Amino acid sequence: MKPIKHAEIVDELNRLMAEEMEAFLRYFQLRHRLRGTERLAADKFFETAMQETLEHAEAIAKHIRILGETPRINVNVEAGGGPLSLKDALNEALVFEQQALEAYRDMLPRVAGEPGLEDFIRKQIATETEHVQEITILLE
Amino acid sequence: MTDTWKEFEANEVTHSVAHHLVAIHEVGREYGGWARVSDIARWLGITRGSVSINLRNIKTRGLVIEDEHRQVKLSEEGLKIAQAIMAKKAAVKAFLRDVINVPEEQAEIDSCKVEHLISHSTGENLLRFITFLTSDNPAAREALSQFRKFEDR
Repeated sequence: MKPIKHAEIVDELNRLMAEEMEAFLRYFQLRHRLRGTERLAADKFFETAMQETLEHAEAIAKHIRILGETPRINVNVEAGGGPLSLKDALNEALVFEQQALEAYRDMLPRVAGEPGLEDFIRKQIATETEHVQEITILLE
Repeated sequence: MTDTWKEFEANEVTHSVAHHLVAIHEVGREYGGWARVSDIARWLGITRGSVSINLRNIKTRGLVIEDEHRQVKLSEEGLKIAQAIMAKKAAVKAFLRDVINVPEEQAEIDSCKVEHLISHSTGENLLRFITFLTSDNPAAREALSQFRKFEDR
C-alpha cells in the first residue's frame, strides 16, 4: 500500500474519528437497551467504553489539528430497537469494535514514517485489539 | 387510497438496505462481486461500523453472503433486488431528465429517493413509456416537441 498525501491522511483521520464518535453513540444507546441485573452488571463496562471512544476521538482530533486542519464530523447514526440482552449488545459492540480495529490496521502502512502519527496508530491498534479480545472473552 | 402509505411497509427493502445492496453491487463489479466493508463505507459515505451493523440485518435476510475475510457478495436474491432497484432508478432518472427536463443532478437525487418505493410493474410501465416517448415514432416525437414548446411559453 502506497503512502498517502497530507489531504488523504486528514480524510482518513476524519473517518477514524467518525468511527469512534459513532461507537460512542452506539455504546450510549446499547447501554440504555439493557434491563434489570444485566444493566447493573454491564453498566461500568459500557460507561468505560463510552469514555474511551470519546478519548480516542479527541486524540484523533488533536492529530488533525497538528496537521494544521480542523476536524470534520460526518456522523450518520440511527440506532433504535427495544430492550436487548447483554449477549446481543456485546455482539453488536464486537461488530463495530472489529471495524474500528481494521480501520486502524489499514491506516498503519499508509502512515509509515509519519512523525507521531505512526506511533499513535500503533497504540490504537493495541488498544482496539484489547477491546475486541475483552468483548470476545465476555461472549465466551 | 388512504392506505397507500402502508404499502411502503410491504416493500422488499428499506431505503438504507436498497443503498447497501446497490453499493455492494457497484463496489464488487471489479472483484467478481465481492466487496470489502471499507469500500462499501467509502462508497456510501458512512462509517465501517454502520455498514457492518446494517449488513447484519441484510445477511440475516439472506440478501448477501460473507466469506472468511468478511468480504460480502450479493446472494441470488440480493442481486435480483439490486438489479431491480437500479433499473427503476434508471427509468425514473431518464423520465425526469429526458422527458420533463429536470437537471441531471436533481434527477439523480430524486430518482434515488424513489427507486425502491415504486413497484416493479410501475417501473416497467414507466420504462415502456420513456422508450416510446424517446423513440422515432412520429406521434411520440410530436408529443415531446409540443411539450417542449409548451414548457417554453
